[in-house]
Parts: sequence; C-alpha cells; structure tokens
Amino acid sequence: MKKPGVCVLRADGINCDEETFHAFENAGAKCAMVHVNQLRRGEENLSSYQILALPGGFSYGDDVHSGKILAVELTSFLKEQLNDFVHKGKLVIGICNGFQVLVRTGLLPYRRLGEIKTTLMVNSSGHFECRWVNLLVESTPCVFTRGMAGKIMSVQVANGGGKFYTAPDTLQDIENQGQVVFRYAGNDGSPTLLYPANPNGSLNAIAGICDSTGRIMGMMPHPERCVGKTQHPNWRRMSGDNSLCCQDIFKNAVEYARQM
Amino acid sequence: MIQEARVMVRDGIPDSKGDEVLYEIHHALGISSVEKVRTAKVFRFEGIDEDAARFLAERLLTEEIFQSFRVNSTIINDAAFVIEVAYRPGVMNPEADSLMKSASDLGVDGLIAADSAWQYGFYGKNVTEADIERIVNSLLVNATVEYVVKESPETLIIQGSPGRTEIVPIRSMNDQQLIELSQDKLFLNLEEMRVIQNYFNSLDRDPTDCEIEIIAQTWSEHCGHKTFKARLIVDGKEKKPLLKRLRDATEESKNPLVLSAFVDNSGVMDFYDGMAICGKVETHNSPSAIEPYGGAMTGSGGVFRDIAGTGLGAKVIASTDMFCFAPPDLPAAEIPPGCLHPHYLLRRAIAGIRDYGNRMGIPTNNGSLHFHRDYRAKPTVIAGAYGILPAAACQKGQPQPGDRVMAMGGRTGRDGIHGATFSSGEMTDRTIDVNASAVQIGHPIEEKRMFDAILTARDEGLIRAITDCGAGGFASAVGEMGAETGARIALDLAPLKYPGLSPWEILLSESQERMVLAVAPEHVERLLEICRDYNVEVTVLGEFTGDGHFSATYDGRKVMDLDMNFLHDGLPQRVLSAAWKRPPLTELKIKAPADWPGLYKKVLGHLNVCSKEPIVRMYDHGVQGTNALPPFAGVHVDGPNDAAILTPILGKPYGLVISHGLNPVLNQIDPYYGSIWAATEAVANAVACGANPDEMVLIDNFIWPFPDEEQLGALDMAIDACVDFVRATGMPFISGKDSLSSTYRGKDGTVIKIPPVLCVSAFGRIPDAAKTVSADFKAAGSHIVLLGYRDTKEMAGSVYCQIHDAPGSNLPRINPDNLMPVLKTLYRTVSSRQLLACHDLSEGGLAVALAEMCFGGDTGAVINIPEDEDAINFLFNETAGCFLAEVPTGLKPAAIFGGIPCRIIGVTSTDKSITVKQSGDELFTLELNELKTAWQQPMKEVFR
Repeated sequence: MKKPGVCVLRADGINCDEETFHAFENAGAKCAMVHVNQLRRGEENLSSYQILALPGGFSYGDDVHSGKILAVELTSFLKEQLNDFVHKGKLVIGICNGFQVLVRTGLLPYRRLGEIKTTLMVNSSGHFECRWVNLLVESTPCVFTRGMAGKIMSVQVANGGGKFYTAPDTLQDIENQGQVVFRYAGNDGSPTLLYPANPNGSLNAIAGICDSTGRIMGMMPHPERCVGKTQHPNWRRMSGDNSLCCQDIFKNAVEYARQM
Repeated sequence: MIQEARVMVRDGIPDSKGDEVLYEIHHALGISSVEKVRTAKVFRFEGIDEDAARFLAERLLTEEIFQSFRVNSTIINDAAFVIEVAYRPGVMNPEADSLMKSASDLGVDGLIAADSAWQYGFYGKNVTEADIERIVNSLLVNATVEYVVKESPETLIIQGSPGRTEIVPIRSMNDQQLIELSQDKLFLNLEEMRVIQNYFNSLDRDPTDCEIEIIAQTWSEHCGHKTFKARLIVDGKEKKPLLKRLRDATEESKNPLVLSAFVDNSGVMDFYDGMAICGKVETHNSPSAIEPYGGAMTGSGGVFRDIAGTGLGAKVIASTDMFCFAPPDLPAAEIPPGCLHPHYLLRRAIAGIRDYGNRMGIPTNNGSLHFHRDYRAKPTVIAGAYGILPAAACQKGQPQPGDRVMAMGGRTGRDGIHGATFSSGEMTDRTIDVNASAVQIGHPIEEKRMFDAILTARDEGLIRAITDCGAGGFASAVGEMGAETGARIALDLAPLKYPGLSPWEILLSESQERMVLAVAPEHVERLLEICRDYNVEVTVLGEFTGDGHFSATYDGRKVMDLDMNFLHDGLPQRVLSAAWKRPPLTELKIKAPADWPGLYKKVLGHLNVCSKEPIVRMYDHGVQGTNALPPFAGVHVDGPNDAAILTPILGKPYGLVISHGLNPVLNQIDPYYGSIWAATEAVANAVACGANPDEMVLIDNFIWPFPDEEQLGALDMAIDACVDFVRATGMPFISGKDSLSSTYRGKDGTVIKIPPVLCVSAFGRIPDAAKTVSADFKAAGSHIVLLGYRDTKEMAGSVYCQIHDAPGSNLPRINPDNLMPVLKTLYRTVSSRQLLACHDLSEGGLAVALAEMCFGGDTGAVINIPEDEDAINFLFNETAGCFLAEVPTGLKPAAIFGGIPCRIIGVTSTDKSITVKQSGDELFTLELNELKTAWQQPMKEVFR
C-alpha cells in the first residue's frame, strides 16, 4: 500500500521529533527528518511530502515568544513553499511548540501567513505543566479527527505556554466556523475552565483548533506520546485498547493523504 | 546608540509572570503591601536606528492580541516602584542569539548586538523601599549573575584585551608563600605545592600561570579524587584505598552485563538488539549553594554531556534529580552568613533542573527530596542521566597522533573559571563573593543542537574519541584525552564570547555546552559540514601528538609545556588516617499514642514523606514517548511509583528500569548500615516495579563533609558496605563520583557538617516492560501481603523518631545476603503477572506505603497488626528491602512467594478509608481524603 510522505521538521531546540516520526510510521506513513536549514538551502522541498508535521519542543529556546523565531523563519524564507503546500490541500499538524509555530505564522486559524489572530500565552499557573488531561473531541471538518467526534481522549500536556487566547470576535468566529477541535474536559467529559483539568487556563477550554478546511490542525497536548499500550500512565488499569485513540489522529492523516 | 523596545501585556489581560511574582511576594516573603505586579520585557539593540527597532517591535517582539510596546520610552508608568533586572555583562543571555537571528531573517541589517531584560512594576499605596529591597534581593536578583539596571548601558559590546601570560616565581617561594599562592585559588596543600616547586626546579624554570592553573585543576579533589585514592590507615591498620576497593568488587562480580565501568564519562551496561545503556550521576553542590538556578542547570547540562561523551557518543534518554535541603520554613535567622535560604534554594534548583531537562527534551523521571536542618549551609544537589548507544560504539575512544583536537558547541567565556578547584574547597562565608565567576547560566538549546550533530557524526563514523568540557574546561578535556599521546593546542583559535580572555582563562574556562572531539584529519571536513547543518560551531584547536607533552600556544608564543606523566601521575598519594566514633545516642521510648490519626497524618506530612507531585508536574517526564511507568499513576494519577521504567527503543518492549536510594540520617547513626540501607532501597525500588535483580548495575555518589579523621572513618565504613552489597547481590558499581567538601566554616567558628549522603542509583533491563506493576491498588478484596525480613524494633533514624526529635541508635541492620532471595522471588511473581500492585517500604514505613497504594487506587484497606508486634513499630519501621504486594483473591500468597517471609496483613476494600486493627480491636479508622490532604499539603505550600 502507498505510504504517504511525512516531513518531520527539525530546528534548533525541537525535541519531540522522534516520537512524532514513530507515531506517523506506526500509522503507515514514510517519514523523513528534515532540518529547516535543508529547506532554506533548497536541499529539501516541501513539495516532496503530503504531510508536514511540526513537532513539540523548544524551537530556538522559546525566545521572545514560544515558536516565534521559527515562525519568523518559515514566513521569511519558505512562504511560497508553505502556501503552495497548503493550497494543494496537503496536511499540516503542529503539536505543542508546533501549534505555537502555526498560530505565529498565521496558518492557524485563517491560513494566512503573517496574520496572527490567535495566540498561546504563558499558562495561568505561571509555569510548566506536565500532566494527563481529558480532551473532548468536537465535531469539526478536521481530517485528523474523523470518526472521533464526541470521544474523550486521555493525553499528556507538557508546556509552559499553552493558554489559548484571542480577541472576542475571533473567538466567536472560530467557534461559529466549527474550528475548535479539542477542549479540555473534566471527569464528566464536559469542557472545563477549572485547573488542573484545564491545565493552561485556555479560553473556552480550547486545546486544539483547525483551519476552515480541516487540513491544518494544531493542538497543545501530545498525542504522539500515546500510540502504544505502555505509554499511558494507567495502562495497567485498562482493559482493551482505550489508550490508543491518540493513534487515530495519525491514522486519519495517513488515510487521507493516501487518497491524494 | 542603543535602541530600547519595551513590551508588556495589555491592560485587562492577566499577566501570568506578574501574578507568579506576586504570589511569591505574598507567600515566600510574607510582604502584603504589594497589591499587584506587572512585568515588561525590555529589548536592547545596538547598531540599528529607531525605525528598525520599531519594525522589530511590531514584527517580532510584540503580539498585539495581548501585548503593547513602546520604543525608547517607558512603558510601566503608574507603578509605585519599577525595577529592571538584567544579566550582568559577560553572563551570556541565551536569548541574544535568537534576537540576532530573527532580525537577520526579517531583513534588518546592521544589528551588532542585542540583549533583553525584565522590568517589574510594583503597585500598592503602602509599598516601602525596604519591601522592594527585600523583594529584589531575595526573589528577583541573584547578584552572582544578575543586577538591577539603574541606567541604560551605552553599549552592549564587551571590550577587553587579553592579559599577559604571567610567570609564577615558584622556585624562590618559601612555605608561607606557597600556602598563600594556593589559598582561595589553587586549593592544594603544602606538600603538593612543594612537589610542583620541585618539578620546576628540575626543569630549571618557573611555571606560567597556565601551567600552575592546569596542575591545580588536574590535582584538585574534584578531578583527582585524592581522598578516594589515598593510602588509608583505619583505626591504626592500613586498608586498600577506597576507590580500589569499589573497583575490585566490580571486577570480582564478573557481571556479564557490564560493558564499561569507571573508565569513561559514564558506565555502560548491555541492553537488547545490539544497543547499550549508559548511566552517570553527578553532584553540583558548590555552584548550587551560591546560585541554585544556574548551578542546577549546569549540573544537568554537565551530566547530559557525560552521557553524550560516552563511548563514541550516546543519546540522552533520562534525567534524574536528588536533593537535600534544609526545611523550607527554617527561620531566616538560622541561615549562616554567606548562605541562601532553603526556600529559595529549593525553588530555584528545581526551576534549573526543569528548564534544562525540559528544553533539551530529556524526560526527568526519577528523583527525591530530603530535608534536614544541617543542609542549611550547603545543600546537596545530585543530577543523573542515562543514555542509549550502539554496543559497538560504547568503548571509550583513543585519539591517535595526528588526530585533530576539535572544540564543539558553545563559545568560551570567563564563566565558570575555577569551578573544579572551587568545588573542592570547603564553603565559608567568603565563598559567595570570592567565587562568583564559578557559576553561569546554561543554554540548553546550544547543547541540544550539539547533541543532534554528535549523533549524526557518530553514525557516520567520524568520531575517534569524545569527551565533555566539564570541570577544568579544555585543560581537563584535552589533557585527559591526550594523556597517552600528548596534545598541542593554540588557545587563540578558540572562539570566544567576548575579547579579553587571558590564555590561562581560555584554558581553564568552564563555559558550558562545549565538547572536545578527536577526529582523524580525513573526517574534519565532513564534521564541519554536519555542524553547519545543525547551526553548531566547531573549531580545530590543535592536534594530538606523539610526544607525551601537553603544550599550548597563544599568538604563536608557547604558554604551556608540561609532561603528561607529571600532570597525571605526579600528584603524591596522600596518606590519611580514619577513625569513626559511634555517636552517643539515646533510644526513644516507643509508646502507643493517644492520637493515632494525628500521628499518621504527621508522618504522611513529614517533608521526607510528603507528595512531591507539584515538582514532578513541572518536569516534562513524558517527552520521547518512552515512559512505561511514570512517577505518578492511579485513578487520579497521584499515586507515587517506586522507579521509572522506560522503553527507550520506540516500538520495542524492552524496558530500562531506573531507581535510587539514600538516607543521610541513618549515615549519621551508623555509616555502614546507612549505606547498606541506601543500596537496598535503590534496588528494592526497582524490583518492586518488576526489575530483574540479576540484571542490574549501580552508581555511587558520596557527598560528604570534609574528610577529617572522623568523616573519613565514616566514608571507609560506607565503602565497606558498598563492597559487601556487591558481593552479596552480584550487582556491581559501574560509575561513581565523590564530593567531599560539604562542611561550612563560619567566621565565628561555626562548623556545620551535612549528614553524609551516599546516593545509590540503580538501573537494569527487562525484556518486556509490559510485565511490570505499579504501586496503586487495583481492586477491592485483594490480599495485602507484607514481604521481606525486618526486625521492627529497629526504629532508629525513622521519620517516627525524627518527629520525636530522637534519632536513636538501633537502626535497621539489613543483611544483604537475605536480600537476593526476596528480590528474586518478587521478580518471578511480578514478571509472571501474579501481582496486581507492589510498593517498597521506605521513609514512613508500612503505614506510608499502604496509604500511597490506597491513594493511587482510590481504594481503602483494612489491616490487622499481628499480636506479637508493637503497633507503632509495625507501622512505622523503615527497613528497606521489604514490600507490600497486592495479591488477587484467588491466589494463595504462601504458595506464590515460596520460602521468603510473607504475611497476609489485610485486605483492600471499597470503603475509602484505612482501618487498622490489632487483636480484634480497632486502633483507628481514617478517611483517605484526610490522609491524602496531609500528605499533599507541604509541597503545595512551597509550590503553587
């Protein structure tokens, strides 16, 4: 079967590249680690791939704003490649720092490079948070979450700046357009603003969003950390494969890309 | 001229950084006059005009959704006080590079330097200058690396011209002058100074400052391990040197798992599929005592480089941290002059570990915190790391003559000079002032990209040998690598952070994030290319020769030429005498309490027992996706586990188990049994989760007061304990470190010695991580089974005794020969999936282990104390190597545990409470919630 190509982007300080690579390969993709320098020098081109994955980490040390320095680099040097990639209907996923990069390039929420309409701020707690949270999967056009609407995912967050924030009109707009893909949920499965179930203090409990086509998606929690049985903290308490619904995100992407 | 841009969060939007500072002002300092804190970031640019600065402010610095900016004018205008804090000139601000890069990416030309700082605005009618001074001094500024900016700097460029290489007229010095030369700088004794004098007499010349410095550094306790290598006279009889005894024990164990022990930057154990695992644990006590954030950061950074510099290069896969501090609520008046408050030390050290490990993408999975008043002068800060590498690349490389000496990574600055010699000296009230340059701020991203480059170079076979630049900098790294061959370097080729370093400073600088490689000439070009791809700087400094000399030039002039033999073997072996005296300790009379619930909660809330979850939540323990047993699990993910289990090869079931043990209080009572306890605890933690006791190795860390006769006697006993433990269990030590300077001497004659620390770290392999258990109870109605040998009267050193201020002398005397049968049986039952949960008994004893298992499972328990046992002893005895296991109803414990001591003590229940009975009478019943609150509260108060 055809294996879609995934460009796993590396840059100084990105550190979730290997597990992102593994999650996509596990889902049937063919991955390549591509350093942003290789793209800048033209040794690599995004057009060779069907999926662009921006992994988590601390690109350029989270200096100035998390993801900002890499976002500036991408919009300064790879604008055409990125626009081309997106307009061909290919898939982009940003996880944690990758999500921060996507909002700071403007690819999220409106697919317009250089137009920053939403942001991810320092957590309300003021510090890094690493904990398992529940995510409610909303019903959206997002191709990464096809067939998952209404499910509750258990997934780890690990960030210092994951508080989703935007102006009231933008918030209203992305809600109206159905672009909110994931919300932090309490034990009862309903969205919550309460710490620590909402670990960042995110507006409307937003943990991840997509663009209007559903082909660009960013999320703060780390689904790539939970694609195998023993990766969940309570796998010993579980019967069956409950923990594996994180894997569906990657499978959906690969399945979609196969049709391209 | 400098352009300044100031950025802050808009009115009406929460300022999390300001809120965090306000919280600390209220809670850590108890200052209530401050009602609000707002923060602003200050960016400075040199070489561009105001328009360019405005462009950067708009496009790079500010996110207008939530921020506003001003260029060249103030931004916080309505606060009672505004304070700006910046790094001191010369302390590298990691953000500066990113500012330069992004400005260039955005097409801004002409920028020659950039910097950033923070402004704090304090609001409140009643805020006084005295309040602000306290806030600044105890919260915002560490004067070692930061300062309060009173007026904007005129330039960001650090100027300077290098000092000359001085000749030290050692040949003409008398003893007094030799001592003066050594004091506060070289930390050598008179005999050693005389050996140096004689050497230069024989050469018929005086040394350069470079030569004196490198000898002092190589011969420092930190690098030379003089005490561990000394001839030892114990109670009048000569014994083998400490280090020799440990290494002999490892050799005698003939453990086939060991691939490399004690010869490299870390010890290496065989793993699966042609891969190997290496481990190293380091201390960073001295820097952390004066600048905990930078100290802990560079501690982590250093131990990660030890891993990366093992064999031909390893990937770092785990980080651990073990701390000993004074209680965070110690009254400020009890802190000795020149020392920092433990509340500050604790929070800042943890922030340092957090920021280095998280940014590197290395999971911090295992650690512990211990509190004792006698760490108030000097804390113990231990950082460990583990790595994975191909077994074929796990042997230490040997440079060949002609190989190039290549320096990789960060640039060299004045930071960290004299770290090796400084950390070998005792701490005094002058330490903080004299040795300020021995501390620096880490740059994890520099290290991360360097490691990325190293692994690529290793896989392409370009590395002949590699080591990290740790204590002693280039001097130590090149000196050790070239010990067999000789080496020649040109110090002026080293890339510098700023001009003005003297040759000896370049040689000795301990700037972080640097490594040295030996590379064959034909591979140099390719290595340069790889480094360029990863934005890593790499420079040929010189070459390995065949002449057995270590020489250096600066601008073509020779500044150093030493015989490697003298450098490495010239240090005279010390002859030390040791004699430990048993301290007079009285036994606590144990009697049943009037208030069982109060006692139980007090033990659970003891600092050495309480939940450390708020700390763990700040460490990224899930990055790399390898965690098969996290620090906390259970229904509410708040039940602690005993060890970390990783699956370092994604997609494969192979497990790496990591754990540790230490108990400083027991070492004060009896260093032999205290040390046996530490080793037992380390391996018991691992086996409780499912580690195989036949496939484990150990790492030792001795953090001791200055080794006077008494303390050396204690050390001798601790070593004997380690050796006996290796012989009884077959688990060898394969790496280790000693740090023997944790004594404080005040001007007024105060002497404070820390409770001696032996931290034993254990790591081992299992073929299938799925055949392991966590500590949380899984079901109601299960048998609760107590396993292992213990004499419950041995209560000395327990938390129970500490609460009653009487350590006692009858401590747990664990017989390591009894341990292996227990551990092997446990392994068999866990790996055959007969247990639902297992937890080892340690601080707080059975009562704490039981409570923690209940917390994790959100399950209650009813236990019966045997009639022949004293209830207090039974509940609170702390003999390591004993376990509580959850056995499903259908199984018979006596049958599955065979011949080892086991006893059904109770049953799990659906009631969310713990009930303790004896002889049919109920001693007490307590709600889980109440117990959990007592257990969680202490660290919640220190960490928000």
